[in-house]
Amino acid sequence: MDRNNCRRQVAAMKQSLFDQGLLDEQFIQLEELQDDANPNFVEEIVTLYYRDSSRLISNLEQTLERNPLDFNKLDTIMHQFKGSSSSIGAKKVKAESSLIREYCRTGNAEGCRKSYQQMKKEYVALRKKLENYFQLARQAGPLERACRPK
Amino acid sequence: MVMDDSTDLLPIGMRVLAVDDDPTCLKVLETLLRRCEYHVTTTSQAIMALNMLRENKDKFDLVISDVHIPDMDGFKLLELVGLEMDLPVIMLSAYGDTKLAMKGISHGACDYLLKPVRLEELKNIWQHVIRKKKSDSKGKNKTNKPDNATSDSCSGLRSAGTENSDENGRLAKKRKDQDEDEDEVKENGNDNEDPSAQMKMRLIEQVLKN
Repeated sequence: MDRNNCRRQVAAMKQSLFDQGLLDEQFIQLEELQDDANPNFVEEIVTLYYRDSSRLISNLEQTLERNPLDFNKLDTIMHQFKGSSSSIGAKKVKAESSLIREYCRTGNAEGCRKSYQQMKKEYVALRKKLENYFQLARQAGPLERACRPK
Repeated sequence: MVMDDSTDLLPIGMRVLAVDDDPTCLKVLETLLRRCEYHVTTTSQAIMALNMLRENKDKFDLVISDVHIPDMDGFKLLELVGLEMDLPVIMLSAYGDTKLAMKGISHGACDYLLKPVRLEELKNIWQHVIRKKKSDSKGKNKTNKPDNATSDSCSGLRSAGTENSDENGRLAKKRKDQDEDEDEVKENGNDNEDPSAQMKMRLIEQVLKN
């Protein structure tokens, strides 16, 4: 595939992720931290995020299954989850996390569970989209490596 | 790090200890801090952080820590670091509620940053080290300067800290309100019990003296 064409597609895909409200400023900041010393920084961080947050997801699900719902525990896990998600610029996931926190504060178990379902959907969808994005970005290659054969 | 009043202040190589139990946040924070050319040590445990600090008090210039760490209450860590080592501590949180921020400040935090932390905010944190060192030395030779300070000379320092937090909504407003309160305090000449306000007042005197 023509490399310029690839790069255009990468840019378009990224723009689309932003337009859909899936990513925010923070993602750009991560890209700015990428350099020769850290050429795959963004992908590494996202991979780290999904690996580590899967642990949080299990904890969340376990907590949500209990009756009555332990709101304090849920809030504690959500605090970390929100922090983590905001670190990669996961805008929608972060917004859903805030919603869950609100439901925790008002002791609304139904609200917590519903919001969680929505958040999980966003979380899973984003992962897939980012995987595609990174795959395409790797094909396009950074400008400096443009001449090297694939 | 050069700590000379008369020369330019060089934050390069400032030694930061970063504490966060979330590996993603910690990795991003570490990279951002390195980008600021600080010397960074990281740990995911408060206990480890305390041990490192106790081992050698002079090994670090500043601590930056998440408020919620599983092995110890972040506020407790804050108190201990402040009391034992007298180092500036910046708190990090994913939640921006004012109560939490106030709790942090009252436990001795010199700043409260909302996650995700921006590079611009981290570029300014060295000012907390300067302020602390200046206020510490100022405390040793107390002067009776009249409170007719203008805020111009110090607003540069303070605004650098607040202007980048616009996206933090309530928290930015909180900081501005605090600054306004401190201006009032200066004018009234009241003896403010709040330690951070006292520190800022000493800084204003110091800046005027220079």
